[in-house]
Amino acid sequence: MIDRPDAAAPGRYRLPAYLLLLAVIAAVCICIFHLRPPDPPARYRLAQAQLVDAAGVARSVALPYRHEHANAMQLPFTYLMNFDYRPSGDEARWSVFLPGYTSGIEVAVNGAVVLDTRLHPGAGRVDRNTPAIAFIPPSLLREGANEVRVRLFVWGPISGYLDRLYVGPDAELRPAYDTRFFLFSTVPLLLAAWQGLLGAILGLIWLNRRREAVYGWLTAAMAVGMTQYFMSMPASQWVHGFLGAAGALEAALMLQFVVHFVGLKHVARWRLAFIPGLVILAAGLFGRPEDLRIAYIALGPAFTGLFMTTMACILGWSAVVKGARSSVFLGCTLTVVVVFWAHDIASLLNFFGAERIFLGRLSYSLVLIAIGIGLTWRFVQALNEADKFAGQLVLRVREAEDKLRASFTREEERARDEARAAERTRLMRDLHDGLGGQLVSIVALAEQMGGIAAQIGDAARAALRDLRLVIDAMEEVDGDLMLVLGSWRERISTQLRAHGIQLSWQVLTPGGLPVFPGLRPWVVIQIVRLLDEAVTNAIKHSGAGTLQVLIETVVDAKGSAGGRITIADDGKGFDVGQYIRDAGSREIARGPVARRGLANMRKRAELCGGQLTFASDAAGTRVSLALPADLGTAGGGESRISS
Amino acid sequence: MNVWGWAMTVGRPVQNAGELISVLVVEDDAPTRWRISDALVQAGGFGVSDVANLADARQAIGAAIPDVLLTDLQLPDGSGMELIRDLRLRSDKTEIMVISILGDEKSVISAILLGANGYLLKDAFPTDIADTVRDLVRGHSPISASIARFIVRRTQGQTGQASASDLNTAKLTHREIDILWGIAKGFSYADIAERLGISKHTVPGYIKNIYRKLEVNTRGEAVFEAIQQGLIKL
Repeated sequence: MIDRPDAAAPGRYRLPAYLLLLAVIAAVCICIFHLRPPDPPARYRLAQAQLVDAAGVARSVALPYRHEHANAMQLPFTYLMNFDYRPSGDEARWSVFLPGYTSGIEVAVNGAVVLDTRLHPGAGRVDRNTPAIAFIPPSLLREGANEVRVRLFVWGPISGYLDRLYVGPDAELRPAYDTRFFLFSTVPLLLAAWQGLLGAILGLIWLNRRREAVYGWLTAAMAVGMTQYFMSMPASQWVHGFLGAAGALEAALMLQFVVHFVGLKHVARWRLAFIPGLVILAAGLFGRPEDLRIAYIALGPAFTGLFMTTMACILGWSAVVKGARSSVFLGCTLTVVVVFWAHDIASLLNFFGAERIFLGRLSYSLVLIAIGIGLTWRFVQALNEADKFAGQLVLRVREAEDKLRASFTREEERARDEARAAERTRLMRDLHDGLGGQLVSIVALAEQMGGIAAQIGDAARAALRDLRLVIDAMEEVDGDLMLVLGSWRERISTQLRAHGIQLSWQVLTPGGLPVFPGLRPWVVIQIVRLLDEAVTNAIKHSGAGTLQVLIETVVDAKGSAGGRITIADDGKGFDVGQYIRDAGSREIARGPVARRGLANMRKRAELCGGQLTFASDAAGTRVSLALPADLGTAGGGESRISS
Repeated sequence: MNVWGWAMTVGRPVQNAGELISVLVVEDDAPTRWRISDALVQAGGFGVSDVANLADARQAIGAAIPDVLLTDLQLPDGSGMELIRDLRLRSDKTEIMVISILGDEKSVISAILLGANGYLLKDAFPTDIADTVRDLVRGHSPISASIARFIVRRTQGQTGQASASDLNTAKLTHREIDILWGIAKGFSYADIAERLGISKHTVPGYIKNIYRKLEVNTRGEAVFEAIQQGLIKL
């Protein structure tokens, strides 16, 4: 019962479709009217009776007989009938059977009372078609003509009615009685109990969810319906009042339900609908019986009909204009009630002329139960939805927690970065004020002194360069090695210029190197030191005139983008084979400075997960550092670096 | 030191400034000061005078506004920042460079905000010193990769904290930011120009423009105070 505009059915087709649906339902209901409850064989039927009025004057009437409204309500109407008793072996036990009457009867056979429905609570209810059957003691029966006297008692606002009478063998009459009793007594009782149970469930739902007024109103309607069922007739004046008001009250309650269900505004206005019911109730409580009768006749059926029409209109509007599917469902159920209600009214006004059977109350109970089941269903669906939602919520919360944790980690990282940057600034200032100033002084002094002091100057300059390298590496570059190389280029270009070597800086692929996520400053230092060493080697040992730096992105077999930095000089080169033979032996430690430099470079490359290749011949040396895509994320202990 | 430094200034008279580029070197460390001055003098074409403290520098500026000012930031009697500001308020034409040991971005950028056009490393080779100053006079403001990186980082609003920096990078155009990126990543002017489809000779002009755009109006005392004391977030 989820309301949603039906996009597939355009608005203009909705009204005819809805009306057609209601018409079909009405047709089905009318078909039901033609299903008459079973009658006993016609030969046992007493179709004629002598109606004796208060003055003792008898007139012949045909049964079923409907009385006009009479003021002398208290007076019972007396009917006299005759039947022939012809006993045969298997038809010894005879009964008298009355399919219907309004409101109470006393049946006497040959002057002896065999049945008085006033003794049965509930049997006198007008809106039920309670049948009556009574066993006639054989001693009362005379062979041949017997007399049946029926006294009809009328109470309440509805006119008296006496259906046909059947007198015959019990075995012939009993099946019809049983069927009718089941249909008009057992079934309504079951429905009333069911209604009470559903009402209790809905009431509990409403008590715990006061916002959902729909449940509350339906509960109230069910409570009224159930209460009126268990009230028996005849009873005190206020019970009559309540019963008279029940129809109008229930209709008003249902109206509230519909108004809330459809979601109309100005809910409070609709409470005026309770007035007719309350007036009838008041007439029952404070007025004379005649007042109650007038109030009921004037207000009861009329307003019940008006309210039902209003409900039909509201539901129709909701179903057609708003396209609410649940309103279609409610509209269908309401149609059933309206049709049966109209049938009852017509029946009351003797429109059909046939047997008087009231079905409105029965259909109403059924419909109420259908709605109750629908609502309960909706509630359970809502619970399921809530469960699903709660499940999703748990997932979302978990996701949010994960995100929060990640963002917290990021935040921590950022804080660490900031702290590092702050530390760098402080270090920078310190170096600026102290060490840096002194180194610069040494450079200046050494330059002035010339000669051997120039080497001191070079050493001081190298120290300054290293200082800048370390400070530079602490700058967060977010894995963009190009930013590091930018500063490095400046440093080596100064250095190379001083030695008369030309720098050829070539970025071979657009953008140069890829970004290496998670690149740590320590790895950056290793790479730059390695490159520095390559350049220093070229300056010191190669005698080259040009130094090439080639930067490129290299996509490996797995499709991930790594990088390659190549430093090539056009110097005299060295014997790589000799170097490689020496590699790993102790020879290296005692070998030439250049070789030690190469060993260091290899070690650095290993530590940061890069791969170093040398190629050297008479035309120059080529040092190539391949950087994998996951550079700097794989382990590599700071403690393992030895230089 | 102060008196000595002053004495040295007096002892090294300004050369004939007729067609020469007049340069004022303000540096308290004597060997460094000599080194820079010598580098310029030996390169030729420069009229160099050097002083060792702020007071002398102010006096020198008061006498004649130089074409180029090279100044250390930490002077015995004050900050080179004050000198930069004083000179910039008086003259728009003078090229100003900070003499720095490490070229740390904060002090250099602070100087740029006040009107400096770049920095010179104290241990720069003599030929590089002369070349840099000559380029500067020709309108080629030098910019280092780390300074460029520092500025473009601020244009990115670094990881969502947009207001973290007072450095006003809003005026920079996309092209100028692209150029800064190129420099930060070590591309040559030629590479940058080729990539952006501009002439290689216009790149220095762009850089000078960037400096001009970053410059703040220091006529307000409060702004100057804030920069000098490092209260402005960079």
